[in-house]
Amino acid sequence: MIELAGLSLTQVLTVLGAVGAVVVGLYLLKLRRRQVAVPFVRLWDQVLADERTTRLFSQLKRLLSLLLALLLVALLAGALGDPRWKGASAEGRSIVVLVDASASMQATDVRPSRLAKAKDEVRTLIDGLGPNDRVLIARMEAHTTPVSPMTDDTAVLREALDSVEPTEVAASLAAGLRFALDVLRDQPHPEVVVVSDGHLGPARDGEGEVALGAVALRYVKVGRGRRNVGITAFSVRRYPLDKSRSEVLVELRNAGDRDESIELSLLGDGQAIDVQQLQLQKGERIARFFQDISGADRTLEARITLAGGAHDDLPADDRAYARLPERRRARVLCVSRGNLYLQAALLLDEYLDVTEIAPEAYPPAGRHDVIIFDDFVPSTLPDASAIYLHPQPAAGGVGPLEITGAITRPLFEQIDRRHPLTRWTALRDVNVADSLAVRLAPGDKAVAGDARGPLIVAGTRGGRKFVALTFDVRHSDLPLRVAWPLVLLNAIDWFVEEDASYLSSYRTGETWRVPVPAGAREATIVAPDGDTRTVPVLEGRAIFAGLRAGFYTLRTRTASGATAEQVFAANLADDAELDITPESRLVVGATTAGRVVPGRAGLRAELWIALVLAALALICIEWVTYHRRVTV
Amino acid sequence: MFGWLRGKGMSGSAATAVASTRARHGDDDLFDEQFQAKLEMLALAARRMHQGRTRAERRSKKTGSGIEFADHREYSAGDDFRYLDWNVYGRSGRLLLRLFEEEEDLSVYVLLDRSRSMAFGDPPKLDYAKRLAAALAYVSLAGLDRVSLVSFDDAIRGRLPPTRGKNRIFTAFKFLREQQADGPTGLADALRMFVTQNKRRGVAILISDLYDPSGFEDGINILRYQKFETHVIQVFDPTEVRPPLHGDVRLVDEETGEAREITVTPRVLDRYAKAHDAYRARIERFCAEKQVAYYPVETSTPFDEAILRILRRGGMLG
Repeated sequence: MIELAGLSLTQVLTVLGAVGAVVVGLYLLKLRRRQVAVPFVRLWDQVLADERTTRLFSQLKRLLSLLLALLLVALLAGALGDPRWKGASAEGRSIVVLVDASASMQATDVRPSRLAKAKDEVRTLIDGLGPNDRVLIARMEAHTTPVSPMTDDTAVLREALDSVEPTEVAASLAAGLRFALDVLRDQPHPEVVVVSDGHLGPARDGEGEVALGAVALRYVKVGRGRRNVGITAFSVRRYPLDKSRSEVLVELRNAGDRDESIELSLLGDGQAIDVQQLQLQKGERIARFFQDISGADRTLEARITLAGGAHDDLPADDRAYARLPERRRARVLCVSRGNLYLQAALLLDEYLDVTEIAPEAYPPAGRHDVIIFDDFVPSTLPDASAIYLHPQPAAGGVGPLEITGAITRPLFEQIDRRHPLTRWTALRDVNVADSLAVRLAPGDKAVAGDARGPLIVAGTRGGRKFVALTFDVRHSDLPLRVAWPLVLLNAIDWFVEEDASYLSSYRTGETWRVPVPAGAREATIVAPDGDTRTVPVLEGRAIFAGLRAGFYTLRTRTASGATAEQVFAANLADDAELDITPESRLVVGATTAGRVVPGRAGLRAELWIALVLAALALICIEWVTYHRRVTV
Repeated sequence: MFGWLRGKGMSGSAATAVASTRARHGDDDLFDEQFQAKLEMLALAARRMHQGRTRAERRSKKTGSGIEFADHREYSAGDDFRYLDWNVYGRSGRLLLRLFEEEEDLSVYVLLDRSRSMAFGDPPKLDYAKRLAAALAYVSLAGLDRVSLVSFDDAIRGRLPPTRGKNRIFTAFKFLREQQADGPTGLADALRMFVTQNKRRGVAILISDLYDPSGFEDGINILRYQKFETHVIQVFDPTEVRPPLHGDVRLVDEETGEAREITVTPRVLDRYAKAHDAYRARIERFCAEKQVAYYPVETSTPFDEAILRILRRGGMLG
C-alpha cells in the first residue's frame, strides 16, 4: 500500500482535476492556425482528399495527445503527494545524534582527531539508516546546539555534520540529554545516540538525574589513548604596591598513565620570560608560582611540551592564556600644606602623575583624575574624584560630609572587607587619636569605623566618587602601616576603575560578563579564531559564552561615538577534560547505553522522483515524435 | 547597352528614349541596361536561326496572292482565271484553282496574365513574365514582325496596339511596367474577348501560370479555334512545387480568398508535389494533343536562358 507524505489525496485530486480541466479545455479550443497565402488553393484539394481518409487516425492521435497530457498532469500531481510505501514508514525511528565537540575530542590519539573519527562514525550511522528513519544532529559541549533539522534527507545530514567544529569547553551530558528528550517528545521510536569519548560529566543537573524513559540510549566510543598533561589553572595578578610586576600561578596535572618530563614555558607579550623543567608522576597535580614577573605588560601565556618537544594526545590543554590588568596613568592633584606621609605613599605607584599645590593655589588650571584634599575642604565640589583627609571645612564652609562633632579614640571595629578600599589591608589595630563625627548622606557608605561614627566613608558627590578619612592621619599610626598606601592606591584604583579584582582569564563554556566602559551601548567580540560577533551589553557588562581558549578582543562604542578596545583571555581549565581515557560504557541512571542498531534494510523509496522521471520521459518522447513529424 | 542599335546609328528619338528610361528607372528596373543588352543578344541569336529572308520574314498561314504555291481548290464563279491550273485540267479535265501563300508581315500577340496569382513568388512571377514578354516582343520586332501586347486577368486589361520596328520596344517596356497583378484569372473570358478584338490571325503567345479555377483548356481552345498559332508559356515559382510550410496552417487562395485548413507534414508536402506535377502533366498532355507548343518555365531560370530554350525549340518563331 502507498500513503502520501506530501499533499493529501484530496489535494492531489483537486490539483489533478483543476489542471486536467484546463488541459481538456485547451484541447477543446479550436486550434488557431497560421494563415498562409497560396497562388492556387485548389491544387491542395487532392491532398486534402487524401487526408480525409486518415482523419480517423488523426483524431485518434489527437485523443492520444490529450491522454498523454492528462497522464503528465497525473504523474506530476502524484509526485506532489510524495507517495511512499505504507509498511516502510511505520518502522521509522526518531534519532538524535549528540556529537561530542568538547575539548577532549581534539585529542589526536586517533588520526586525525577524535572529532573527525566521531564524524566518520556518524556518517556510517547515516549510511545505515532505514528508509523512514529521521535524524537530528546536535553538537554537544557545555550547551547543546542542533546543527540540522529532524530529517530523513541524508544530504542535509551530511552537510550539517561537516559544520560541527571542535570547541575548547567541557561537555555536559545532562544538557545534551535534556535537549534530546525535548526533541524526541512524542516522536515514534525515539533514540539518542551519543558519539563521544565518554568524558561528559554526570547525567545530573539542577533538576536532578536525567530520566530517559522510553528513549533508547546508544553510545559510540571514540578514542583509545590516555597520555595527557594539561594546565588546569593559570592566574596572574599585579602586585598591589608595584604594579609593574606580577605573580603567576600555574597548576598542572598529569592525567595519563605514565610519568612525564615536561617543560613549562611562560611567555609575556609573546616573548619567553621563564622556562621550567618539571617531572610529573602519573596522576600528579602540581602548582608553580612565577614571582616578580616583570617582562610582561599585557598578555601572558603558559605552554607545556613533553620532553624532547613531543606532544601528548590532547594539545588543547597544553596552553593557557592570561591578560594582565590594564594599568592606567592617573593625574593626581594633591592639595596640601605638606604631608610627608602622603607624598611617600603616592611615590609607590609610578603610574601616578602627582602634582602638589598649596590650598591657596586651588583650583589650578588643567584637568585631574583624582584630587586629594589634605586637611582642606574647597568651597565648591571639585570636578574630579576626590580623597578628603580630615574634611573639616573652614568656618561657614560646606564640606562633603556634614560635621556633627568629634570622636575621641575611634576604632576600626566595623570594616567592610568586600569594599575595594579595604582589599589587602589590615586596619583593625590602627590607632587614631580623634576623628570628626559626620552624618552620612543617602548613598554614602561607611567603609570602616565604629558605632560612634565612620572613619572611612565612600560615596558620590556631584556625580563624582569620593573617599573621606574623617581623621587626620598625622594623628594616627596609620601612615606607619602598610595599609596606608594600600588604602590610598585602592581609592585611586576605585576612582579610575582599575579593578583590582580583575579576572585574568575566563573559563570557556561559561557565560562571561566582561566589564565595559561606562556608557557603552554596543560591544563586539573578536574570538581567537577571528570570528567576530556583536554581543549584548547588560548592566555595564558584555555577555558572551566563548567556546575557544585564547585572547579575545572586546570593542565597545558609547552613545557619544567613543570607541574602546580591550583584550581578555579565556582558558579551558577544566579538570575533567584532562582525563582523555575513553570510557567504554555510558551509563545514565540505571540505563547502560547499547550499540547503534542499523535501520531496516531496503531502498529509500522516493517514489516522487520516479513519477517526475516518468513525466520527463513522456515529454521527451512527445518532443521527439513531434519534431520527427510522427504525431503531427 | 543596345550597342547594336548605337552601332547602326540609333535614331535621335530612340537614344533620347533610352536616356529617359535610365533616368526614370534605376538599376532595379525590370528592363535595365543589362536586360536590354541581353535582348539584343537574343535578337541576334534568333536572326541566326532564321537567316535568308529580308522582310516579312515569316510566312503567314494565310493563302493569297503570293508566289509560292500552296494548294488547289475547286473553281467557282468569279475566280480569277489567271490562277486556273491548266495542266491539271489537261490531265484530269477538272478546273482547279492554284492557291499561293500570301506573304505578309506576321502578327505576334503576347498575352500576359496579370492576375493576382502572378504576384506570387520571389521574384514575383509577373516580373519574370514581363521580362519574357519584353524579350519575345523585341525578338519579334527585330524580325520586322508586328507585335501587340495584351494583358488580362478575367478580361482584357491593357493592350498595346500592333506595332513594328525595334525602336518601338520602349513603348512595350512602358506598357509592361504599367501592368500590376490584380484580379482573378479567367482565361476563357479574357481570350474570348481577345479574339473578338483581333481579327488578324497570327502567333499568340500566352504567358500565364494557368491557375484558372475554371480550367485552362477553354482559353487555349478559343485561340486554337480562331486559327491563332498558339504557344503557352507556364510560369511558376519553385516554392509552388514544394512550399516551405509545416504544421497547422490555413491556406488562403490569393485570388479567390478560398481557404483550406491542413496540417502540413513531409508526407503532405510529397502529396502536394505530386498533385502539382500532375497538374503540369495535364497541361502538357493537353497541349501535345492539341498541337499547342508548351513551355514550362521556373522563375529561378535566368530569363535569357529560358528565351533561348524557347527559341531553340523552334516552334514559336520559326
